[in-house]
Amino acid sequence: MNYNQPLELTGLLSHLDIFFRNNLPPFWASLVESILVLITILAAYAVIALILIYAERKITAFFQARLGPNRLGKYGSIQSIADMIKILIKEIIHINRVDRFLFYAAPFFVICSSVMAFGAIPFGKGLQAVDFNMGIVYLLTVSSLGVIGVLLAGWSSNNKYSMIGAMRSGAQFISYELSAAFALMTVVVMTGTMQLSEIVENQRYAWNIFNGHLPAIVAFVIYLISGHAETNRAPFDLPEAEGELTAGYHTEYSGMQFGFYYLAEYLNMFIIAAVATTVFLGGWMPFQLKGMDTFNQIMWYIPSYVWFIGKTAMLVFISLWVRWSFPRLRIDLLLNLEWKYLLPINLVNIIAMVVTVLAGWTLTGLFPNIFGITP
Amino acid sequence: MQSFTKYISGIFTALKSLLKGMGVTWKEFWTKKVTMEYPENRQTLVISDRWRAELIMPHDENNEHACTACGICMMNCPNGTIRVISVSIETEKGKKKKILDKHIWDYGSCTYCNLCVITCPSDAIVFNNDFEGAVFDRNKLVHQLNKPGSKLRDKKK
Amino acid sequence: MKDIQQVVSETVSDAVIEEKQKLTVTVAPGQLHSLISALYAHEALPFDYLISLTGMDWGDKLGVIYLLSSSRDLSKEIVVITATDDRDNPLLYSVTDMYETAHLNEREVYALFGIRFINNPDMRRFLLSDDWKGFPLRKDYDGDPAHNPITIVNKEIVDIAPRIMEDAGGNLMESTVKIFDEEDYIINIGPQHPSTHGVMHFRTALDGEIVKKIDVKSGYIHRGIEKLCESLTYPQILHFTDRLDYLSANINRHALCMCVEKAAGIEVPPRAQYIRVIMDELNRISSHLLAFAAHCNDLGATTAFIYGMREREYILDIFDKTCGGRLIINQDVVGGVMFDIYGDFRKDVNAFIPYMREKLKEYDDFFSHNAIVLRRMVGVGRLSREDAISYAVTGPAGRGSGWSCDVRKHKPYSLYDQIEFKEVIRLEGDSYARYLNRLEEIEESLHLIEQLIDNIPEGDVLATVKPVLRLPEGQYFQNVETGKGEFGVFIESKGEKYPYRVKFRSPSMAAVSVMPLICKEELLSDFIGIGGSMDYVIPDIDR
Repeated sequence: MNYNQPLELTGLLSHLDIFFRNNLPPFWASLVESILVLITILAAYAVIALILIYAERKITAFFQARLGPNRLGKYGSIQSIADMIKILIKEIIHINRVDRFLFYAAPFFVICSSVMAFGAIPFGKGLQAVDFNMGIVYLLTVSSLGVIGVLLAGWSSNNKYSMIGAMRSGAQFISYELSAAFALMTVVVMTGTMQLSEIVENQRYAWNIFNGHLPAIVAFVIYLISGHAETNRAPFDLPEAEGELTAGYHTEYSGMQFGFYYLAEYLNMFIIAAVATTVFLGGWMPFQLKGMDTFNQIMWYIPSYVWFIGKTAMLVFISLWVRWSFPRLRIDLLLNLEWKYLLPINLVNIIAMVVTVLAGWTLTGLFPNIFGITP
Repeated sequence: MQSFTKYISGIFTALKSLLKGMGVTWKEFWTKKVTMEYPENRQTLVISDRWRAELIMPHDENNEHACTACGICMMNCPNGTIRVISVSIETEKGKKKKILDKHIWDYGSCTYCNLCVITCPSDAIVFNNDFEGAVFDRNKLVHQLNKPGSKLRDKKK
Repeated sequence: MKDIQQVVSETVSDAVIEEKQKLTVTVAPGQLHSLISALYAHEALPFDYLISLTGMDWGDKLGVIYLLSSSRDLSKEIVVITATDDRDNPLLYSVTDMYETAHLNEREVYALFGIRFINNPDMRRFLLSDDWKGFPLRKDYDGDPAHNPITIVNKEIVDIAPRIMEDAGGNLMESTVKIFDEEDYIINIGPQHPSTHGVMHFRTALDGEIVKKIDVKSGYIHRGIEKLCESLTYPQILHFTDRLDYLSANINRHALCMCVEKAAGIEVPPRAQYIRVIMDELNRISSHLLAFAAHCNDLGATTAFIYGMREREYILDIFDKTCGGRLIINQDVVGGVMFDIYGDFRKDVNAFIPYMREKLKEYDDFFSHNAIVLRRMVGVGRLSREDAISYAVTGPAGRGSGWSCDVRKHKPYSLYDQIEFKEVIRLEGDSYARYLNRLEEIEESLHLIEQLIDNIPEGDVLATVKPVLRLPEGQYFQNVETGKGEFGVFIESKGEKYPYRVKFRSPSMAAVSVMPLICKEELLSDFIGIGGSMDYVIPDIDR
């Protein structure tokens, strides 16, 4: 069934592609397109970070009986732009007795890993820079690179607070990486593919979280928790723990170097939400019901990237809500939670999912007429 | 087995308590905020009458005040914030009399203990409500309370 | 107390026993330790609670005033005084073997008076830096800034403590002891740190993340208030009390006012008493709210912090309408209160009470039963009853360890013997007990205010007080219950308009002195959390 999709960008993109291929030799056309994609991703990265920072500050304020930024622009809307300018022109303070090379290299590890993960996310129909056939593994791999930056920062700062923060974060990343990966694998069992575009396509009539019902919901919750932990945000913000370690691993950073950590933290939050959206909540796919063409057509009038951003924003909101409701965990509680609760539950859950899939208890298995993709 | 049920029930009680906490923040999210937006609400801002902001010496329409330059406020001030400078003049009847020359109060070092006001025998000084006292120069914090050319109000007979 | 007098005269035959405001015993320095040991070991009424240890300079003699009480019955108090003639090398025996709280107190006396204590294992100066010249609270102290110039040179922290020990043969030996081992991993929590609630310095030796040892350094905001008091008249001193424990400003002030009133024989009008107590209780609520808020913040719950501050705002509004101040409220004066209540005072307070009750329930839902909170507070930072007494930890923290130490109950002052309220006691002694104690005390304070607010009698709010107030010669004590614990005022007067010596007993100092004990073997994160649960205020320590 082909629906009218007036606001999608696929047409525009293919026009561009044809234009370049017609006017340039194939190598140059690819190069120009790559550069354009790169610029777009970097720009989107920065813009999304700014929006997230503003949203977080505003939402936090509302949770905390405050008003939040309200001085610059209407409702403080250009506050984050002002912050960006401030952080760009701030002096980078050179600190004696740090390991120079590692100290300056560390922020780049963090920001690179986050940009690399960001680039692989399908933002909408045809809006995906690279579509690996093992996209999920790629996402997990690059997002786990960030911990190197954090460890290096803590180690090279030659500061005891930073050191403790970095060590905490090492333990935390490694632990929660497992859970996050297992939770995604649970879904892979069901979808049978690791390619993000296919995973999205498969969720046309039944989002994975509904399709796999109980095991999928458990996996979803675990993914959100461990994802939240991976982004180092409260209540899992032990590596920073501003009440204990002042700022943890980035205590000694200033100016834009600190800005990199700051940006990466916000973007990681977005990436986790985006991956959860893609894998569990149908990604950019509009909500559709099989056989109800009028309804589906209406849903398709809303462009796919809006669907994607909407779902992601909801998850980001939940993550903020959690963040500002709970006190911080302690390192032993944090590891307990992972190794005694999340991981065992996850392992059981993955078996439950295998059974569900083999026995055909998924929604698509039980009701192929309603939820199956093929007509 | 028992430990297993404990394990499972532990998860659920924990989840319940966490969700309850999230319920409180959720409610707060939609509550109207009580924050005052200060410079904007300047017109409607209510400062309590007793608020101690700035020490002043009220003058009446004839530019007269009630300070007899007795110096009790200066003596009672715990940290030397007040200086009363008096001069001796000769009255028409030929008597020598001490009158106020300068009553100087340092905004910057005042602890607002209110001792000067409550001990003043002639109620010549009071604290007002004008709390916006920030200036860029520390010297401007030193105020002379008696207006130029002012004089002591004659006691009503 | 006859019984106690007998114990005293049996132990030290030539002790001078006087019935002053309190039972006062004066002994020679050599007999001090045996006397206090006898009092400490008394079976029916062991004097195991050292309320305060006050250094004194009487001109010819240097000495110490011990105010002792019993944990079984706080209303029984005894004052022990000793003094030495030797001004160049004054030595007294330490009581640290009985009272742990004496450690910091004796170090403070050493810094301010130069009296060294034999057998105190760590005789570094407290409150002042190690190289301070002169002893500021001595009467012959030369306060010329040239002696102790302000430097911007970084001073290395010396971790070697001098001490004087007595061996079995009675010979005195000076030696030094190292505070930390060579290979200790020391991390500085403070002086500038988000969670020390002020400029406090904890040198913390860590093993991984586990706290091995803590060395408390304080004095970064020492203002010498006790010295300043000696050159000010009594009404002028009042404004300092607000600046000690600024969260219990009005209660501190109440203590000093009562001390002076008692000494001068001033009768406070009933209306003023009512206003004082209501303001005290409002002040206590605001102090506990801030303690709750700061504790939550230390545990990483920023939102709870702001909720606590939100409720506190209502009290501060009532304060600023009543007396024109919010934190430093300047309400009590000798003989009564400075300001009568304003027109809508009753209405505002009556509106606040149900509002606060509702919010207390919200705190319960939000924080008190939260799974993370329970795991971070229950069983953490355990303080036993014996340690609480020995370290003189009072207030909600002491009562959290099962020690009934509410001054309002045991030594009722003002109106507290006429109103009904419950002393909140818990037995667990952990962070959670202290935390719950505070919330419950808010409830109790609301109950207290309810009883008073509609019965405020008409009349004056200020008794007539002589313009120049001279206290008759003597020593005067007054203790009150602030938000943090037992706060004490001691005034020695020589009959002049200035006090000869003023000493404030600080509950926060006791709370800080116990930190090394209860944080040992806990994780670094818990150290911060326990600090929040002890709720100390630094200016109260650095007087």
